[in-house]
Amino acid sequence: MTDMEREDGTTRDELVQRVALMEAMIAEGRQSTARWGWVFVMWGLIYFAAMAWVVFLPFKEWAWPVCIAVGIVVSVVKGRQRRSKGENQRSRSLAAVWQIFSAGITLYVIGAIASGHGTQSAYYAAIMFFIGLAHGTSARILRWGAQGMAAAVWCAGGLAMFFFTTQDEILAIFLIATFFGMILFGLYAMWLERRRAAGMVQAHA
Amino acid sequence: MPEMPELDPVIHGKLRLAVLSLLVGVEEADFTWLRDKTGSTDGNLGAQMLKLEEAGYVAMQKRFAGRKPQTLYRMTPVGRKALAKYVTALKQLLGAAL
Repeated sequence: MTDMEREDGTTRDELVQRVALMEAMIAEGRQSTARWGWVFVMWGLIYFAAMAWVVFLPFKEWAWPVCIAVGIVVSVVKGRQRRSKGENQRSRSLAAVWQIFSAGITLYVIGAIASGHGTQSAYYAAIMFFIGLAHGTSARILRWGAQGMAAAVWCAGGLAMFFFTTQDEILAIFLIATFFGMILFGLYAMWLERRRAAGMVQAHA
Repeated sequence: MPEMPELDPVIHGKLRLAVLSLLVGVEEADFTWLRDKTGSTDGNLGAQMLKLEEAGYVAMQKRFAGRKPQTLYRMTPVGRKALAKYVTALKQLLGAAL
């Protein structure tokens, strides 16, 4: 093969291409968070909408339950449209984290609102820790520093809630955490997804 | 001069190699996921999957997810062994070419 061509006509370049193809596909197969950045952006916008409703609109007690219900419906519908999947232990672990988080936070918000505890700073602190824990667990599974930063933002916000308890302070802390820990993180994830998709190897027979 | 190893022609096809490389990292994958990841067409991917199935490298299972039919593929132990052998042969060939 010193003349770079085998008897069957395979050249060294072709072999190198096969190695590159295998590497790219193995990396693709292991990527478990593919194309989910939009979910974080959407939830960030939903949190903004809920906070805006609480501040500017009547029936404030309905703001969070309605906005969360809308978010869950959109997530489920969009998720079903993206049915195609390759499943492994990591993707199942991530799905479990976010599914249990969604169920837990939904029950918590409904319970807190129904019992009249849905406006205290401790209520918002718990929500922020919920989100921080989900981000943090996901970050550990993926070994992803950016998501670890998002987790830190939410947990720091949750801690701050115990010390800044006026409505304006609660609102400001929640909005800042939502922007950095959800919207900005989601946009970054989407940017990574696009970059990865642009570099994807076309593998025709 | 040592004898050069042969590359398994079933695995060596670009699309078949891409599919096996994808399947090696997951427990199972559906047809559309494989198609999206490889940038292939339905017809082409279907034909290549059939070749892999006939060689015993992948196993296919049809089921329903809700009302929609789903075609799932998983790599067989024979397929894993064959891919490992292919990688070894590839390394030897590239090593010999350097």
